[in-house]
Amino acid sequence: MSLPQSLRVSVTPLELELIACEQLVEIVPLISMEKTAFISGAYGPLRPPSKSKVPLWMAINLKLKKKCHIVPPEWLTVDFLQERLSRETSQPQFSKLPFRFAEISKVVLDVASDDVPNADKIRSLLKDLREARQAKSREGLQQIDHSELSLPNLCSMEINEIRPVFVQSMGLLSQLVREPENRAGDV
Amino acid sequence: MDNDYFSIDAILAENQKIQCTFKLDIPDMGHLGGGNERDIKALSKAPIPIWLAYILLYSDWADFSIPQPFGARVRNALNAEPKSVKLSGLVGQGGHWYGFGKMIMDILSDEQANEMSELLIKAFKGRLVEVIDQAQHFAALGGSGGGGSSISGDSALSFREGLDGAERELFALAQESVKMTKRWYEGNDRARR
Repeated sequence: MSLPQSLRVSVTPLELELIACEQLVEIVPLISMEKTAFISGAYGPLRPPSKSKVPLWMAINLKLKKKCHIVPPEWLTVDFLQERLSRETSQPQFSKLPFRFAEISKVVLDVASDDVPNADKIRSLLKDLREARQAKSREGLQQIDHSELSLPNLCSMEINEIRPVFVQSMGLLSQLVREPENRAGDV
Repeated sequence: MDNDYFSIDAILAENQKIQCTFKLDIPDMGHLGGGNERDIKALSKAPIPIWLAYILLYSDWADFSIPQPFGARVRNALNAEPKSVKLSGLVGQGGHWYGFGKMIMDILSDEQANEMSELLIKAFKGRLVEVIDQAQHFAALGGSGGGGSSISGDSALSFREGLDGAERELFALAQESVKMTKRWYEGNDRARR
C-alpha cells in the first residue's frame, strides 16, 4: 500500500464533511426552480418565499451564489448548545448531540454565518463543547481494555480523531493479554 | 509485535538475546559461542538470540533465565512509576520492549507468563495516557517546545526518549490525527468552494 499511514487507518475530516453534506437542511430560496433530479434524489421545487428541504451541499452552493438563505438546524442555537454544554460539564457521560454536528455546524457557520443568529456565541459554545468532550475521551483512554470500550454518544468527528490510537493500542493490548483458552493450550 | 512472518517488528524483537544455560555437552561447537573452547560444556552460560533459543529450549537442551529488562529491578521501578522507566533504553535497537516481552511470555510456563502479561499490560496502560497527552500537546504546538500536561519539562523530554517502539508508533498516529482534525477545525474553506 502506498497510502500514507494516516489515510490507511481512518478517513479524513474532509471526507466526513463530504458525507455530512448529504444531509437535508431547510433553506429559504430566493429563486424559483422546478423539481430537479440528482443522483441522490429529486429535490425541489423551489418557490420563494416558502421553505424547502435540500441536501447541505446544494444549500451551500445556492448560498454562495446568494440564491437562498439557510435555516439553521434547530440544535444550532445558543439556548440548545448552552444547555448541552452545562450538561456536558456536570455529568460524566457524553451528552446527546446530532451524530454529525461538528461537520454540519462548521459548514453552516463557514458559509452562512449571516443566517445564524448569534453566530459568534455559537462558535465559542461549540469550541467549549469540543474541549469538554475531548477531556472525556481522554478519560475513556484510561479505561481502555483489549476487548471493548464503550463511549456512547460520541460523534463522528470525535470518533475519527481517536480511532487510530484506540485501534492500535487495543490491538497491542490483545497481544499482551493472555486469554484463558490460550492458557489451557500452553504446556 | 505479533508473531507475524512478515512483521519487521517481530523480526527485530527476535534478535534480542537471552541468557541460556546449557544442560548438556555439545561437542565441537565451542566456536559458535565465540570462545576458544572446543566443546560447549553443560552448565555453561551463553547469550543466545531468541530465534535460536526457541529450538534449544523446546528440545530441552538448555534453560533460560528471565532477561534483565524484565527483572526485579525493572519490575519495581514500573510498580513505583511506569512513566519514569525508559523502556527503549532497556532493550536497545529501536526498543521493542513489548515485543520482546511478548516473546518471553510465550515461552514461559503458565504462572510466570501470566505474571509477565500483567506486568506488560500494567506498564502499557500506565504510560498510554501520557503518550497521547504529549502527542496532542505537540500536535497543538506544531513544533518544538517542552512540557506535557501531567509531567513537565525535563521529565517529559526523558519520557519521550524512553518510549518503546510500539509507543512511538502510537505517538505518531495520535499526533497525525490530532493535527489533521485541528487543521480542519481551523481552516475556513469558503475559498475552496
